[in-house]
Amino acid sequence: MNILEINNLVKDFGGLRAVDTLSLSIEEGEILGMIGPNGAGKSTAFNCIAGVYAPTKGDVYFTGKKINGVRPWNLCKNGLARTFQIVKPFRSKSVLYNVMVGSFVTTDKTAVAEEKALNVLKILSFENKKDERAGNLTIAELKRLEVARALATEPKLLLFDEVMAGLRPAEVDEMVQIIKNLRDQGITIFVIEHIMRAIMALSDRIVVIHFGKKIAEGSPQEVASDENVIKAYLGDEYVVS
Amino acid sequence: MTRKNINTSAFILLGFVAFGLPLLLRSPTYLHIIILLYLYAYLTTSWNLVGGFAGVLPLGHSAFIGIGAYASTILSLQYGISPWIGMIVGGILAAIVGILIGFPTFKMRGAYFALATIAFGEGIRVMVENIDNLGPLNINGPRGLQIPPTNIGFGNYMFASKEPYYYIILVMLVGVLALTYFISRSKLGYYLNAGGEEPEAAMSLGVNVAQAKLIAMAMSSFLTALAGTFYAQFTLYIHPKSVMSLDFSFEIAFIALIGGRGSIAGPVLGALLLRPVSDFSRIYFGSTLPGLHLIIFGTVLILVMIFQPRGLQEPLSKFYNTLLDRISGQTPQREVKHEYS
Repeated sequence: MNILEINNLVKDFGGLRAVDTLSLSIEEGEILGMIGPNGAGKSTAFNCIAGVYAPTKGDVYFTGKKINGVRPWNLCKNGLARTFQIVKPFRSKSVLYNVMVGSFVTTDKTAVAEEKALNVLKILSFENKKDERAGNLTIAELKRLEVARALATEPKLLLFDEVMAGLRPAEVDEMVQIIKNLRDQGITIFVIEHIMRAIMALSDRIVVIHFGKKIAEGSPQEVASDENVIKAYLGDEYVVS
Repeated sequence: MTRKNINTSAFILLGFVAFGLPLLLRSPTYLHIIILLYLYAYLTTSWNLVGGFAGVLPLGHSAFIGIGAYASTILSLQYGISPWIGMIVGGILAAIVGILIGFPTFKMRGAYFALATIAFGEGIRVMVENIDNLGPLNINGPRGLQIPPTNIGFGNYMFASKEPYYYIILVMLVGVLALTYFISRSKLGYYLNAGGEEPEAAMSLGVNVAQAKLIAMAMSSFLTALAGTFYAQFTLYIHPKSVMSLDFSFEIAFIALIGGRGSIAGPVLGALLLRPVSDFSRIYFGSTLPGLHLIIFGTVLILVMIFQPRGLQEPLSKFYNTLLDRISGQTPQREVKHEYS
């Protein structure tokens, strides 16, 4: 069954069409990658799915239900969580506090929320930092905090918006492993990423968009050898004819 | 002795001092000053639910004091209803007004929210000043309402000496502090803090930020109105300038910012530091330099914002923790948890 389905999604900002008749779907338990040059409309598409923007046209279905215009907090309660490309931690609070905000989605009791949050921190081997103020974390730790908070809401579908940008190679490998583990626990994952090595290793399927339009879709190998993708990324002269 | 024991005994000692103070302090003037100190600590703690936890800066809380004061006074003068019941009515009225104000203004950020709430607070004051009769209700415009001290007794919320007022405001203060403590550790407290700091991130984590803020606003305005009734019964004379003046809102904000917004101890600490300044400057310089206390507040605020932007509660709670460590002989804890204290 498709956990997420997007039909002919359009998002306009004034005269600019950021997302242009985009259609895609994600099966349950899959890791779908989305790549595209800067400004291709990846984050806008994410924001339309996550309820930040209402789509101009087209429909988004999550677990079979139409979610156009559903507010972010309600989406989160229904099992759709996301991270932000530009990290947004609650800086004055501890790591544990940050994650507990997420785990309160499934409970009203502080003790239960704390237990769940600690459990998430353990899964991400982040326990040692639980009392650290979020404002003092490194960028790699902040990215991990984004993942931890989203994971604490116990999602069915996780949207990762460039969680590996700015990380060192070793940290990228670690994050790839974390994401794979999450999938093994039954969470479906939709990931935007610029780091090719990571997305190639991670994704079951990749969608490539350019100027808001889908230009290719397929396995990592298929996409990497696709003529349109090479054109979009490197320019016409690199296409082997 | 362990840290916890010392903490508990410190609290018990503080409780004894607070409850025994009127027995030691025979001077009604000083008791009056301390009652006002508690009143401001109470007001600021109520304000803190919105101004501290929800991360906005409301500057119109004087309106809620006025609503509480006028509601209970009008009900008791015109309909003979006990101010205790009037107090609850005023609170509910203020909560409704608070929600109505919060609904459009919580979408604004920073200074715009503060300005909107000032406009609202002043607007209500000007309206009350210019209305003599609102339907059957006699508001009496700028002349205000006087409560004749004829029916002294608990049921009428009216006493001949200051001690009962002292205990009432003390109980109210302890109550609101306990409520704040409870909220700061509850889901609502987490949601308010999260929504105040990073609304977008909070929303994506399942937080209905607007709803959480409105709940906090309703509670805050309800509690503030209760203090309005207390003030009316304490002074037995209210007029728009006394219970609805912007000075109230500003002094509350000063106390909160200097003591430490969003903390439990901050408002009490701020009131402890600033109230004596404003009272003594009024006693000694009231005729020569009126408004001196506001200049002092401003200077202190600037210094605090430069050197301790999170308020004075932070260095003091650190100091208290080190002291605890010394006395209990335990190794200092690594890092004080930032969400509480």
